[in-house]
Amino acid sequence: MCAARASLAAKQKVTPVLNTFQQAMHPALAQPTPDEGARQEFAKSLKQFVQQGILPGLGPVFRARAARRFEREAGRAPADRHDIRKAMVPDPYFQHYAAVNRVAQELLWDSVIDSVDRDLPALETRTAANSARNRGKLLIPDDFEVPRYVAALDIHCMPGGYSGRGADRDGIALGALYDRGVYLYSMGYTGPNNDDMGRSVCNYIKRRLDGFTPKRILDMGCTVGHSTLPYKELFPDAEVWGIDVAAPQIRFAHARAGAFGLDVNFAQMNAEATDFDDGYFDLVVSHIMLHETSGKAMPKIFAECHRVLAPGGLMIHADLPPFDLMDPFTQFILDNETYYNNEPFWGAMRDLDQIALAKVAGFQADTIRFDTAPMAVMEFAAQAAAGYSEAAADAVADREFTAGEFAPGGGWEVLIARKAAAA
Amino acid sequence: MSEGMTRSAQGKRPHFYETPALDQMMSMIMVLAGEVSVLADHIDSIERVAAANGLDLRAGIASLALDQVALEEREARRQALLGRLFYLMRKEAAEAEAAETAEGYAAVIDEIAVG
Repeated sequence: MCAARASLAAKQKVTPVLNTFQQAMHPALAQPTPDEGARQEFAKSLKQFVQQGILPGLGPVFRARAARRFEREAGRAPADRHDIRKAMVPDPYFQHYAAVNRVAQELLWDSVIDSVDRDLPALETRTAANSARNRGKLLIPDDFEVPRYVAALDIHCMPGGYSGRGADRDGIALGALYDRGVYLYSMGYTGPNNDDMGRSVCNYIKRRLDGFTPKRILDMGCTVGHSTLPYKELFPDAEVWGIDVAAPQIRFAHARAGAFGLDVNFAQMNAEATDFDDGYFDLVVSHIMLHETSGKAMPKIFAECHRVLAPGGLMIHADLPPFDLMDPFTQFILDNETYYNNEPFWGAMRDLDQIALAKVAGFQADTIRFDTAPMAVMEFAAQAAAGYSEAAADAVADREFTAGEFAPGGGWEVLIARKAAAA
Repeated sequence: MSEGMTRSAQGKRPHFYETPALDQMMSMIMVLAGEVSVLADHIDSIERVAAANGLDLRAGIASLALDQVALEEREARRQALLGRLFYLMRKEAAEAEAAETAEGYAAVIDEIAVG
Protein backbone atom coordinates (compact mmCIF):
# COMPACT_ATOMS: atom_id res chain seq x y z
CA MET A 1 0.00 0.00 0.00
CA CYS A 2 1.49 3.33 -1.02
CA ALA A 3 1.72 6.19 1.47
CA ALA A 4 -0.90 8.30 -0.27
CA ARG A 5 -3.41 5.46 -0.21
CA ALA A 6 -2.69 4.73 3.45
CA SER A 7 -3.26 8.35 4.41
CA LEU A 8 -6.45 8.47 2.36
CA ALA A 9 -7.72 5.33 4.10
CA ALA A 10 -6.86 6.85 7.47
CA LYS A 11 -8.68 10.05 6.55
CA GLN A 12 -11.75 8.10 5.45
CA LYS A 13 -11.77 6.19 8.74
CA VAL A 14 -11.81 9.41 10.76
CA THR A 15 -14.40 11.24 8.65
CA PRO A 16 -16.48 8.76 6.66
CA VAL A 17 -18.34 10.57 3.89
CA LEU A 18 -21.91 9.39 3.48
CA ASN A 19 -23.06 8.64 -0.05
CA THR A 20 -26.29 10.64 -0.25
CA PHE A 21 -26.37 10.90 -4.06
CA GLN A 22 -29.88 11.02 -5.53
CA GLN A 23 -30.91 10.41 -9.11
CA ALA A 24 -32.78 13.28 -10.77
CA MET A 25 -36.27 11.94 -11.45
CA HIS A 26 -37.02 12.83 -15.06
CA PRO A 27 -40.50 12.14 -16.52
CA ALA A 28 -39.39 9.04 -18.46
CA LEU A 29 -38.35 7.18 -15.28
CA ALA A 30 -40.60 4.75 -13.41
CA GLN A 31 -41.84 6.49 -10.26
CA PRO A 32 -41.14 4.39 -7.13
CA THR A 33 -43.51 4.26 -4.16
CA PRO A 34 -41.86 5.22 -0.84
CA ASP A 35 -41.20 1.58 0.09
CA GLU A 36 -39.93 0.71 -3.40
CA GLY A 37 -37.66 3.72 -3.15
CA ALA A 38 -36.46 2.55 0.27
CA ARG A 39 -35.62 -0.91 -1.14
CA GLN A 40 -33.69 0.72 -3.98
CA GLU A 41 -31.83 2.91 -1.50
CA PHE A 42 -31.00 -0.17 0.56
CA ALA A 43 -29.54 -1.94 -2.49
CA LYS A 44 -27.33 1.12 -3.11
CA SER A 45 -26.38 1.30 0.58
CA LEU A 46 -25.51 -2.39 0.62
CA LYS A 47 -23.22 -1.95 -2.39
CA GLN A 48 -21.61 1.03 -0.68
CA PHE A 49 -21.07 -1.02 2.48
CA VAL A 50 -19.58 -3.96 0.58
CA GLN A 51 -17.23 -1.52 -1.10
CA GLN A 52 -16.17 0.50 1.94
CA GLY A 53 -16.78 -1.94 4.78
CA ILE A 54 -15.93 -5.39 3.39
CA LEU A 55 -13.73 -5.01 0.31
CA PRO A 56 -10.80 -3.33 2.16
CA GLY A 57 -10.41 -6.50 4.28
CA LEU A 58 -9.70 -8.67 1.24
CA GLY A 59 -6.08 -7.47 1.03
CA PRO A 60 -5.21 -8.29 4.67
CA VAL A 61 -7.04 -11.64 4.45
CA PHE A 62 -5.10 -12.50 1.30
CA ARG A 63 -1.74 -11.61 2.84
CA ALA A 64 -2.41 -13.07 6.28
CA ARG A 65 -3.81 -16.46 5.33
CA ALA A 66 -4.95 -17.07 1.73
CA ALA A 67 -1.54 -16.40 0.15
CA ARG A 68 0.19 -18.49 2.84
CA ARG A 69 -2.13 -21.43 2.28
CA PHE A 70 -1.54 -21.18 -1.47
CA GLU A 71 2.23 -21.17 -0.87
CA ARG A 72 2.00 -24.26 1.38
CA GLU A 73 -0.06 -26.14 -1.17
CA ALA A 74 1.57 -24.97 -4.43
CA GLY A 75 5.14 -24.59 -3.15
CA ARG A 76 5.37 -21.06 -4.56
CA ALA A 77 3.88 -17.62 -4.02
CA PRO A 78 0.79 -16.55 -6.02
CA ALA A 79 2.13 -14.93 -9.18
CA ASP A 80 -0.83 -13.45 -11.04
CA ARG A 81 -4.55 -12.76 -10.74
CA HIS A 82 -5.40 -16.40 -11.54
CA ASP A 83 -3.26 -17.65 -8.63
CA ILE A 84 -4.78 -15.05 -6.32
CA ARG A 85 -8.22 -16.21 -7.35
CA LYS A 86 -7.35 -19.84 -6.54
CA ALA A 87 -6.06 -18.73 -3.15
CA MET A 88 -9.09 -16.62 -2.28
CA VAL A 89 -12.07 -18.64 -3.52
CA PRO A 90 -11.97 -21.13 -0.56
CA ASP A 91 -11.56 -18.37 2.04
CA PRO A 92 -14.71 -17.66 4.13
CA TYR A 93 -14.08 -13.90 4.13
CA PHE A 94 -13.92 -13.82 0.36
CA GLN A 95 -16.96 -16.08 0.12
CA HIS A 96 -19.04 -13.64 2.18
CA TYR A 97 -17.72 -10.69 0.18
CA ALA A 98 -18.52 -12.27 -3.18
CA ALA A 99 -21.88 -13.71 -2.05
CA VAL A 100 -23.16 -10.44 -0.58
CA ASN A 101 -21.87 -8.47 -3.57
CA ARG A 102 -23.83 -10.77 -5.87
CA VAL A 103 -26.96 -10.57 -3.69
CA ALA A 104 -26.71 -6.75 -3.68
CA GLN A 105 -26.62 -6.81 -7.48
CA GLU A 106 -29.70 -9.05 -7.61
CA LEU A 107 -31.66 -7.02 -5.04
CA LEU A 108 -30.84 -3.86 -6.97
CA TRP A 109 -32.50 -5.04 -10.18
CA ASP A 110 -35.38 -6.71 -8.33
CA SER A 111 -36.17 -3.52 -6.42
CA VAL A 112 -36.36 -1.55 -9.68
CA ILE A 113 -38.45 -4.18 -11.46
CA ASP A 114 -41.08 -3.63 -8.73
CA SER A 115 -41.42 0.01 -9.82
CA VAL A 116 -41.20 -0.53 -13.58
CA ASP A 117 -43.68 -3.40 -13.59
CA ARG A 118 -46.22 -1.50 -11.49
CA ASP A 119 -45.80 1.83 -13.27
CA LEU A 120 -45.56 0.36 -16.80
CA PRO A 121 -48.90 1.44 -18.33
CA ALA A 122 -48.41 5.06 -17.22
CA LEU A 123 -44.73 4.86 -18.11
CA GLU A 124 -45.52 3.75 -21.66
CA THR A 125 -47.86 6.73 -22.09
CA ARG A 126 -45.24 9.15 -20.78
CA THR A 127 -42.57 7.55 -22.95
CA ALA A 128 -44.66 7.96 -26.11
CA ALA A 129 -45.31 11.63 -25.28
CA ASN A 130 -41.64 12.31 -24.59
CA SER A 131 -40.52 10.46 -27.69
CA ALA A 132 -42.83 12.73 -29.73
CA ARG A 133 -40.98 15.74 -28.33
CA ASN A 134 -37.64 14.52 -29.73
CA ARG A 135 -37.36 15.66 -33.38
CA GLY A 136 -34.41 13.32 -33.91
CA LYS A 137 -34.90 10.07 -35.84
CA LEU A 138 -35.75 6.73 -34.22
CA LEU A 139 -34.72 3.80 -36.42
CA ILE A 140 -35.60 0.23 -35.41
CA PRO A 141 -35.20 -2.27 -38.27
CA ASP A 142 -37.57 -5.26 -38.56
CA ASP A 143 -34.91 -7.92 -38.97
CA PHE A 144 -32.10 -7.13 -36.57
CA GLU A 145 -29.90 -9.83 -35.12
CA VAL A 146 -28.65 -9.10 -31.59
CA PRO A 147 -25.02 -10.31 -31.36
CA ARG A 148 -24.34 -13.31 -29.13
CA TYR A 149 -22.03 -11.37 -26.81
CA VAL A 150 -25.06 -9.34 -25.69
CA ALA A 151 -27.71 -12.08 -25.97
CA ALA A 152 -25.87 -15.07 -24.42
CA LEU A 153 -25.90 -13.81 -20.81
CA ASP A 154 -27.90 -11.07 -19.10
CA ILE A 155 -24.97 -8.70 -18.62
CA HIS A 156 -24.38 -7.56 -15.02
CA CYS A 157 -27.31 -9.80 -14.01
CA MET A 158 -30.06 -7.47 -15.26
CA PRO A 159 -33.05 -9.80 -15.76
CA GLY A 160 -34.02 -9.77 -19.44
CA GLY A 161 -30.70 -8.23 -20.44
CA TYR A 162 -30.39 -5.16 -22.63
CA SER A 163 -32.39 -6.55 -25.51
CA GLY A 164 -34.96 -8.92 -23.98
CA ARG A 165 -35.91 -12.41 -25.07
CA GLY A 166 -39.72 -12.48 -25.30
CA ALA A 167 -42.37 -9.79 -25.31
CA ASP A 168 -39.89 -7.52 -23.53
CA ARG A 169 -38.03 -7.08 -26.86
CA ASP A 170 -40.82 -4.80 -28.08
CA GLY A 171 -41.42 -2.34 -25.27
CA ILE A 172 -39.44 0.14 -23.22
CA ALA A 173 -39.51 -1.69 -19.86
CA LEU A 174 -35.89 -2.88 -20.07
CA GLY A 175 -34.76 0.66 -20.90
CA ALA A 176 -36.57 2.00 -17.84
CA LEU A 177 -35.06 -0.82 -15.75
CA TYR A 178 -31.56 0.02 -16.96
CA ASP A 179 -31.94 3.79 -16.43
CA ARG A 180 -32.78 3.47 -12.73
CA GLY A 181 -30.81 0.27 -12.06
CA VAL A 182 -27.51 1.46 -13.42
CA TYR A 183 -27.76 4.61 -11.30
CA LEU A 184 -27.90 2.41 -8.19
CA TYR A 185 -25.21 0.13 -9.67
CA SER A 186 -22.87 3.11 -10.05
CA MET A 187 -23.93 4.30 -6.57
CA GLY A 188 -24.66 7.71 -8.06
CA TYR A 189 -21.00 8.32 -8.89
CA THR A 190 -21.94 9.20 -12.47
CA GLY A 191 -24.16 12.11 -11.49
CA PRO A 192 -27.90 12.79 -11.04
CA ASN A 193 -28.51 12.03 -14.73
CA ASN A 194 -26.00 9.16 -15.01
CA ASP A 195 -24.09 11.22 -17.56
CA ASP A 196 -20.68 11.75 -15.98
CA MET A 197 -18.86 9.69 -18.60
CA GLY A 198 -20.21 11.62 -21.57
CA ARG A 199 -19.84 14.91 -19.73
CA SER A 200 -16.26 14.13 -18.74
CA VAL A 201 -15.27 13.22 -22.31
CA CYS A 202 -17.00 16.37 -23.65
CA ASN A 203 -15.08 18.48 -21.12
CA TYR A 204 -11.89 16.72 -22.15
CA ILE A 205 -12.56 17.53 -25.81
CA LYS A 206 -13.36 21.18 -25.05
CA ARG A 207 -10.41 21.74 -22.71
CA ARG A 208 -7.67 19.57 -24.15
CA LEU A 209 -8.23 19.18 -27.88
CA ASP A 210 -7.46 22.67 -29.21
CA GLY A 211 -10.91 23.86 -30.20
CA PHE A 212 -11.96 20.61 -31.91
CA THR A 213 -15.70 21.16 -32.53
CA PRO A 214 -17.38 18.09 -34.00
CA LYS A 215 -20.32 18.62 -36.37
CA ARG A 216 -21.49 15.00 -36.51
CA ILE A 217 -21.10 12.75 -33.48
CA LEU A 218 -21.74 9.01 -33.14
CA ASP A 219 -22.09 7.36 -29.71
CA MET A 220 -21.74 3.58 -29.99
CA GLY A 221 -23.39 1.21 -27.47
CA CYS A 222 -25.39 4.11 -26.08
CA THR A 223 -28.12 2.12 -24.23
CA VAL A 224 -30.58 4.75 -22.91
CA GLY A 225 -28.36 7.65 -23.98
CA HIS A 226 -26.91 8.59 -20.58
CA SER A 227 -23.58 9.55 -22.12
CA THR A 228 -25.04 10.63 -25.47
CA LEU A 229 -27.03 13.64 -24.28
CA PRO A 230 -24.08 15.72 -22.95
CA TYR A 231 -22.69 15.81 -26.52
CA LYS A 232 -25.88 17.51 -27.74
CA GLU A 233 -25.89 19.78 -24.70
CA LEU A 234 -22.25 20.85 -25.08
CA PHE A 235 -22.16 20.80 -28.92
CA PRO A 236 -25.73 22.00 -29.63
CA ASP A 237 -25.14 22.56 -33.35
CA ALA A 238 -23.91 19.00 -33.89
CA GLU A 239 -25.95 16.17 -35.41
CA VAL A 240 -25.78 13.53 -32.68
CA TRP A 241 -26.51 9.81 -33.14
CA GLY A 242 -26.71 7.08 -30.52
CA ILE A 243 -26.69 3.44 -31.65
CA ASP A 244 -27.16 0.21 -29.72
CA VAL A 245 -27.99 -3.42 -30.49
CA ALA A 246 -30.91 -3.40 -28.01
CA ALA A 247 -34.24 -2.02 -29.26
CA PRO A 248 -35.78 -1.48 -25.76
CA GLN A 249 -32.82 0.70 -24.82
CA ILE A 250 -32.96 2.69 -28.08
CA ARG A 251 -36.71 3.35 -27.81
CA PHE A 252 -36.31 4.50 -24.22
CA ALA A 253 -33.27 6.63 -25.16
CA HIS A 254 -35.33 8.51 -27.76
CA ALA A 255 -38.03 9.28 -25.18
CA ARG A 256 -35.47 10.16 -22.50
CA ALA A 257 -33.83 12.71 -24.83
CA GLY A 258 -37.29 14.17 -25.45
CA ALA A 259 -37.85 14.45 -21.70
CA PHE A 260 -34.63 16.48 -21.50
CA GLY A 261 -35.78 18.67 -24.44
CA LEU A 262 -32.98 17.48 -26.74
CA ASP A 263 -33.19 16.44 -30.40
CA VAL A 264 -30.96 13.39 -30.73
CA ASN A 265 -31.13 10.55 -33.27
CA PHE A 266 -31.21 6.95 -32.07
CA ALA A 267 -30.94 3.76 -34.10
CA GLN A 268 -30.72 0.04 -33.44
CA MET A 269 -27.44 -0.78 -35.17
CA ASN A 270 -24.41 -2.98 -34.54
CA ALA A 271 -21.18 -1.02 -33.99
CA GLU A 272 -19.32 -3.70 -35.97
CA ALA A 273 -21.19 -2.73 -39.17
CA THR A 274 -23.36 0.38 -39.11
CA ASP A 275 -25.52 1.78 -41.92
CA PHE A 276 -23.71 5.14 -42.07
CA ASP A 277 -21.81 6.36 -45.14
CA ASP A 278 -18.00 6.42 -45.23
CA GLY A 279 -16.58 9.51 -43.55
CA TYR A 280 -19.97 10.66 -42.18
CA PHE A 281 -18.79 11.57 -38.64
CA ASP A 282 -15.95 13.65 -37.27
CA LEU A 283 -16.24 12.17 -33.76
CA VAL A 284 -17.04 8.59 -32.76
CA VAL A 285 -17.23 7.79 -29.05
CA SER A 286 -18.24 4.94 -26.76
CA HIS A 287 -18.60 4.66 -22.99
CA ILE A 288 -18.14 1.37 -21.10
CA MET A 289 -19.13 -0.48 -24.28
CA LEU A 290 -15.97 -2.29 -25.40
CA HIS A 291 -15.82 -4.64 -22.38
CA GLU A 292 -19.32 -5.86 -23.27
CA THR A 293 -18.38 -6.89 -26.83
CA SER A 294 -16.02 -9.74 -27.79
CA GLY A 295 -12.53 -10.57 -29.02
CA LYS A 296 -13.85 -10.93 -32.56
CA ALA A 297 -16.06 -7.84 -32.45
CA MET A 298 -13.51 -5.35 -31.08
CA PRO A 299 -11.22 -5.22 -34.16
CA LYS A 300 -14.32 -4.88 -36.37
CA ILE A 301 -15.62 -2.02 -34.22
CA PHE A 302 -12.29 -0.18 -34.47
CA ALA A 303 -12.31 -0.69 -38.26
CA GLU A 304 -15.91 0.57 -38.44
CA CYS A 305 -14.96 3.67 -36.41
CA HIS A 306 -12.21 4.34 -38.94
CA ARG A 307 -14.58 3.84 -41.89
CA VAL A 308 -17.33 6.19 -40.66
CA LEU A 309 -14.87 8.90 -39.60
CA ALA A 310 -13.97 11.75 -41.94
CA PRO A 311 -10.23 12.41 -42.48
CA GLY A 312 -8.88 14.07 -39.33
CA GLY A 313 -11.78 12.71 -37.25
CA LEU A 314 -11.37 11.34 -33.72
CA MET A 315 -12.26 8.02 -32.08
CA ILE A 316 -12.57 8.11 -28.27
CA HIS A 317 -13.47 5.03 -26.21
CA ALA A 318 -13.97 5.46 -22.46
CA ASP A 319 -13.76 2.24 -20.46
CA LEU A 320 -11.98 0.93 -17.38
CA PRO A 321 -8.17 0.69 -17.45
CA PRO A 322 -6.31 -2.22 -19.09
CA PHE A 323 -4.87 -4.79 -16.66
CA ASP A 324 -1.25 -3.87 -17.38
CA LEU A 325 -1.89 -0.52 -15.69
CA MET A 326 -2.69 -2.16 -12.32
CA ASP A 327 -1.26 -4.63 -9.81
CA PRO A 328 -2.33 -8.33 -9.82
CA PHE A 329 -4.47 -8.05 -6.67
CA THR A 330 -6.50 -5.18 -8.17
CA GLN A 331 -6.79 -7.21 -11.37
CA PHE A 332 -8.14 -10.14 -9.35
CA ILE A 333 -10.82 -8.01 -7.68
CA LEU A 334 -11.89 -6.47 -10.99
CA ASP A 335 -11.93 -9.88 -12.63
CA ASN A 336 -14.59 -11.07 -10.16
CA GLU A 337 -17.03 -9.31 -12.51
CA THR A 338 -16.15 -11.87 -15.18
CA TYR A 339 -17.04 -14.79 -12.93
CA TYR A 340 -19.83 -13.42 -10.74
CA ASN A 341 -21.58 -10.65 -12.64
CA ASN A 342 -22.27 -12.05 -16.13
CA GLU A 343 -19.49 -10.02 -17.74
CA PRO A 344 -17.82 -12.66 -19.94
CA PHE A 345 -15.46 -10.25 -21.77
CA TRP A 346 -14.58 -8.09 -18.73
CA GLY A 347 -11.22 -9.76 -18.04
CA ALA A 348 -10.16 -10.72 -21.56
CA MET A 349 -10.81 -7.21 -22.90
CA ARG A 350 -8.39 -5.76 -20.37
CA ASP A 351 -5.65 -8.07 -21.62
CA LEU A 352 -5.98 -6.86 -25.23
CA ASP A 353 -3.47 -4.43 -26.76
CA GLN A 354 -5.94 -1.72 -27.76
CA ILE A 355 -3.22 0.55 -29.14
CA ALA A 356 -2.18 -2.20 -31.57
CA LEU A 357 -5.82 -2.80 -32.53
CA ALA A 358 -6.26 0.88 -33.35
CA LYS A 359 -3.11 0.80 -35.50
CA VAL A 360 -4.35 -2.22 -37.42
CA ALA A 361 -7.67 -0.43 -37.97
CA GLY A 362 -5.74 2.30 -39.79
CA PHE A 363 -5.52 5.09 -37.22
CA GLN A 364 -2.52 7.42 -37.33
CA ALA A 365 0.04 5.65 -35.09
CA ASP A 366 1.45 8.74 -33.36
CA THR A 367 -2.04 9.89 -32.28
CA ILE A 368 -3.10 6.67 -30.52
CA ARG A 369 -2.89 6.96 -26.73
CA PHE A 370 -4.55 6.38 -23.37
CA ASP A 371 -5.37 9.47 -21.36
CA THR A 372 -7.52 10.40 -18.36
CA ALA A 373 -10.68 12.49 -18.72
CA PRO A 374 -11.23 14.01 -15.24
CA MET A 375 -14.64 13.20 -13.73
CA ALA A 376 -17.24 15.96 -13.93
CA VAL A 377 -18.73 14.97 -10.56
CA MET A 378 -17.75 18.27 -8.87
CA GLU A 379 -19.98 20.10 -11.36
CA PHE A 380 -23.00 18.32 -9.90
CA ALA A 381 -22.18 19.65 -6.44
CA ALA A 382 -21.77 23.13 -7.90
CA GLN A 383 -25.28 22.81 -9.38
CA ALA A 384 -26.57 21.73 -5.94
CA ALA A 385 -28.03 18.48 -7.31
CA ALA A 386 -29.92 16.52 -4.62
CA GLY A 387 -27.53 14.65 -2.35
CA TYR A 388 -24.43 15.86 -4.24
CA SER A 389 -22.83 17.73 -1.36
CA GLU A 390 -19.38 19.26 -1.88
CA ALA A 391 -17.94 16.75 0.59
CA ALA A 392 -19.56 13.70 -1.02
CA ALA A 393 -18.61 14.76 -4.56
CA ASP A 394 -15.09 15.64 -3.46
CA ALA A 395 -14.69 12.21 -1.87
CA VAL A 396 -15.51 10.61 -5.24
CA ALA A 397 -13.40 12.96 -7.36
CA ASP A 398 -10.39 12.93 -5.06
CA ARG A 399 -10.06 9.24 -4.26
CA GLU A 400 -7.69 6.71 -5.73
CA PHE A 401 -8.80 3.96 -8.06
CA THR A 402 -10.68 1.30 -6.08
CA ALA A 403 -11.16 -1.98 -7.84
CA GLY A 404 -14.71 -3.28 -7.75
CA GLU A 405 -16.31 0.11 -8.00
CA PHE A 406 -18.22 0.99 -11.13
CA ALA A 407 -16.46 4.32 -11.50
CA PRO A 408 -12.69 4.64 -11.16
CA GLY A 409 -11.23 7.34 -8.93
CA GLY A 410 -10.66 10.80 -10.32
CA GLY A 411 -11.15 10.22 -14.02
CA TRP A 412 -12.14 7.94 -16.87
CA GLU A 413 -9.53 6.13 -18.91
CA VAL A 414 -9.96 7.06 -22.57
CA LEU A 415 -8.40 5.57 -25.70
CA ILE A 416 -7.94 8.26 -28.33
CA ALA A 417 -6.97 7.87 -31.99
CA ARG A 418 -7.13 10.15 -35.00
CA LYS A 419 -7.83 9.22 -38.60
CA ALA A 420 -5.17 10.67 -40.86
CA ALA A 421 -6.11 13.93 -42.59
CA ALA A 422 -6.70 13.72 -46.35
CA ALA A 423 -3.43 13.78 -48.30
CA MET B 1 -45.70 -14.35 -10.92
CA SER B 2 -46.44 -15.61 -14.41
CA GLU B 3 -47.15 -12.12 -15.74
CA GLY B 4 -44.80 -9.14 -15.77
CA MET B 5 -41.11 -8.70 -16.30
CA THR B 6 -38.71 -11.58 -15.85
CA ARG B 7 -37.05 -11.74 -12.43
CA SER B 8 -34.31 -14.18 -13.45
CA ALA B 9 -31.10 -13.11 -15.15
CA GLN B 10 -29.95 -15.50 -17.89
CA GLY B 11 -26.64 -17.11 -16.97
CA LYS B 12 -25.82 -19.87 -14.43
CA ARG B 13 -25.61 -18.39 -10.96
CA PRO B 14 -22.28 -19.13 -9.26
CA HIS B 15 -22.23 -20.52 -5.71
CA PHE B 16 -19.88 -19.06 -3.18
CA TYR B 17 -20.00 -21.56 -0.31
CA GLU B 18 -19.19 -25.26 -0.08
CA THR B 19 -22.71 -25.79 1.26
CA PRO B 20 -25.17 -24.59 -1.43
CA ALA B 21 -27.87 -23.89 1.17
CA LEU B 22 -25.65 -21.19 2.65
CA ASP B 23 -25.93 -19.19 -0.57
CA GLN B 24 -29.68 -19.18 -0.15
CA MET B 25 -29.43 -18.38 3.56
CA MET B 26 -27.23 -15.37 2.84
CA SER B 27 -29.66 -14.04 0.22
CA MET B 28 -32.55 -14.45 2.68
CA ILE B 29 -30.66 -12.65 5.43
CA MET B 30 -29.91 -9.76 3.08
CA VAL B 31 -33.55 -9.55 1.98
CA LEU B 32 -34.64 -9.44 5.62
CA ALA B 33 -32.01 -6.79 6.40
CA GLY B 34 -33.47 -4.85 3.47
CA GLU B 35 -36.97 -5.07 4.90
CA VAL B 36 -35.72 -3.86 8.32
CA SER B 37 -34.14 -0.93 6.52
CA VAL B 38 -37.40 -0.22 4.65
CA LEU B 39 -39.31 -0.20 7.97
CA ALA B 40 -36.75 2.10 9.58
CA ASP B 41 -37.09 4.49 6.64
CA HIS B 42 -40.86 4.29 6.98
CA ILE B 43 -40.80 5.10 10.71
CA ASP B 44 -38.48 7.99 9.95
CA SER B 45 -41.00 9.21 7.37
CA ILE B 46 -43.84 8.93 9.90
CA GLU B 47 -41.92 11.09 12.36
CA ARG B 48 -41.05 13.69 9.74
CA VAL B 49 -44.58 13.92 8.33
CA ALA B 50 -46.00 14.23 11.86
CA ALA B 51 -43.43 16.94 12.67
CA ALA B 52 -44.35 18.84 9.51
CA ASN B 53 -47.93 18.78 10.81
CA GLY B 54 -47.03 20.08 14.25
CA LEU B 55 -46.71 16.78 16.11
CA ASP B 56 -43.16 16.23 17.44
CA LEU B 57 -43.19 12.46 17.79
CA ARG B 58 -39.44 12.25 18.13
CA ALA B 59 -39.34 14.50 21.20
CA GLY B 60 -42.38 12.72 22.61
CA ILE B 61 -40.65 9.35 22.18
CA ALA B 62 -37.46 10.70 23.80
CA SER B 63 -39.34 11.91 26.87
CA LEU B 64 -41.69 8.95 27.12
CA ALA B 65 -41.61 7.33 30.59
CA LEU B 66 -42.64 3.67 30.51
CA ASP B 67 -44.99 2.54 33.25
CA GLN B 68 -44.95 -0.98 34.69
CA VAL B 69 -47.48 -2.31 32.15
CA ALA B 70 -45.46 -0.99 29.25
CA LEU B 71 -42.21 -2.35 30.67
CA GLU B 72 -43.73 -5.82 30.99
CA GLU B 73 -45.25 -5.75 27.51
CA ARG B 74 -41.97 -4.76 25.95
CA GLU B 75 -39.89 -7.32 27.81
CA ALA B 76 -42.39 -10.06 26.96
CA ARG B 77 -42.26 -9.06 23.30
CA ARG B 78 -38.44 -9.09 23.27
CA GLN B 79 -38.30 -12.51 24.95
CA ALA B 80 -40.87 -13.88 22.49
CA LEU B 81 -38.84 -12.52 19.59
CA LEU B 82 -35.69 -14.19 20.89
CA GLY B 83 -37.62 -17.40 21.45
CA ARG B 84 -38.70 -17.40 17.80
CA LEU B 85 -35.20 -16.52 16.64
CA PHE B 86 -33.66 -19.45 18.54
CA TYR B 87 -36.44 -21.99 18.01
CA LEU B 88 -34.06 -24.55 16.56
CA MET B 89 -31.88 -24.49 19.70
CA ARG B 90 -35.01 -24.97 21.80
CA LYS B 91 -35.86 -27.96 19.62
CA GLU B 92 -32.35 -29.35 19.92
CA ALA B 93 -32.48 -29.15 23.72
CA ALA B 94 -35.89 -30.82 23.76
CA GLU B 95 -34.60 -33.66 21.60
CA ALA B 96 -31.66 -34.15 23.94
CA GLU B 97 -34.08 -34.20 26.87
CA ALA B 98 -36.34 -36.79 25.21
CA ALA B 99 -33.39 -38.75 23.76
CA GLU B 100 -34.86 -38.39 20.28
CA THR B 101 -32.55 -39.56 17.49
CA ALA B 102 -32.65 -39.94 13.71
CA GLU B 103 -32.38 -43.69 14.22
CA GLY B 104 -35.36 -43.60 16.53
CA TYR B 105 -37.36 -41.67 13.92
CA ALA B 106 -36.48 -44.21 11.20
CA ALA B 107 -37.46 -46.99 13.54
CA VAL B 108 -40.88 -45.40 14.02
CA ILE B 109 -41.39 -45.24 10.22
CA ASP B 110 -40.61 -48.90 9.92
CA GLU B 111 -42.79 -49.74 12.89
CA ILE B 112 -45.79 -47.77 11.63
CA ALA B 113 -45.49 -49.26 8.17
CA VAL B 114 -46.20 -52.71 9.48
CA GLY B 115 -48.13 -51.82 12.63
